[in-house]
Amino acid sequence: MESMEHGRVVDSNPFVDIATHLFLEDLASKVGVAGLNNYLISLANNLAANMPEEEYETWDEFLDALKNGHSILSSFEDVHAVTKHCMATRRSPFERGWREYAKRVGAFSKVHREVADYYNAKVKPTAVNSLHIILQTFRDAASKRIRVGGKPMRYEQIATVWVDGERKVAADDRLPSLLKRAGITKTRLGMLLRNNADVWLLTTD
Amino acid sequence: MLDVALVSLIEDLIEKAGADGVIEFWQRVGENLANRIGKEAYMGWTSFNVAVREGRTAYSIEGDVTPLTDLAITDVDGDVVGYIYAMKQCCYFPTAMRVRYTVGKLSSADKAVAQEYNENFHNIAWCNFCVFHERFREEVAKNITVAGNPLECLLLATRGFDGDTRISGKGLAKININPEHIRALLRNYECVYALLMRGARLKEG
Repeated sequence: MESMEHGRVVDSNPFVDIATHLFLEDLASKVGVAGLNNYLISLANNLAANMPEEEYETWDEFLDALKNGHSILSSFEDVHAVTKHCMATRRSPFERGWREYAKRVGAFSKVHREVADYYNAKVKPTAVNSLHIILQTFRDAASKRIRVGGKPMRYEQIATVWVDGERKVAADDRLPSLLKRAGITKTRLGMLLRNNADVWLLTTD
Repeated sequence: MLDVALVSLIEDLIEKAGADGVIEFWQRVGENLANRIGKEAYMGWTSFNVAVREGRTAYSIEGDVTPLTDLAITDVDGDVVGYIYAMKQCCYFPTAMRVRYTVGKLSSADKAVAQEYNENFHNIAWCNFCVFHERFREEVAKNITVAGNPLECLLLATRGFDGDTRISGKGLAKININPEHIRALLRNYECVYALLMRGARLKEG
């Protein structure tokens, strides 16, 4: 049994992830795409709300915790800091489950993409499928539970790449400001997207 | 993280539909998943058991399954009509640990679903996922033929990581196996089930 002392928690059995995907698909057949979107957002918010709050004296102390998997923001994903404020996740925490789904069940149900289209139109254009709605909402809610030097943290998604290479990048009118605050250029973003699943921004207000 | 979020989903569904509603939902999802995986046919038990070991059957989605080929099930004529199969680790165990190290304690909603199932369906569930898993296995069995005969699955015994064991008297009576054989298996395995040819003429227990 591996504990948080050794870094991230143990991997899930992908069967549980697949069952959850089917669970969400069944739910979508009853509540529709808009209903599923609301469900996913509420699910991620509840998950973050159930996790303990965190406080750090300095930004460097927080980055250490993030890197070592001791922060709630890195409980489920392997995060590395590209700059002090630009974070990258190498592999999507959903990749294993999705690969197993594709191998054992077949093509991913189209509802996962449809709900992402809805989210992209209504919230922000950075989700490729339903799983990104959960992850990005979770990061947003979890970051609000962290204080660094007494200041609350703020999260923003810069870009997402799914396993098949499909990309979603923040809206054109917001991207320059996000990149500036992250301390990277558009070219650097393109480089990061070649071998990372997510690029995101963390700052304090 | 989807598996940890599932715990919140179960909590929410219990509020909306009750524990019996969650059971109905899980059973439907189990059937859907099994049917999406589709049909399989094997020449005989040897080829089926080799496929189980190599992770090529519909059951391989669960994780590592061991065919206990020393525990054959025979019919009234002494012909082999099935075998006992076992998993060293419950599919849900990693999720229970992940909840422990991220959220804290496994939700009481999990136990509520298992308890409702044990009281009204089959006294064998250790966690809410057993509800889905038992129905999934039963449906998969219908889609697999061995030597032209469709299979039947009987969930025989489970052991939770808290050490709590459950043995199905109903299932054991059907295949005429002494509960002590199964109790001994539970020292090494967390989930034990039988696969046998549907309609086989078994010895009276």
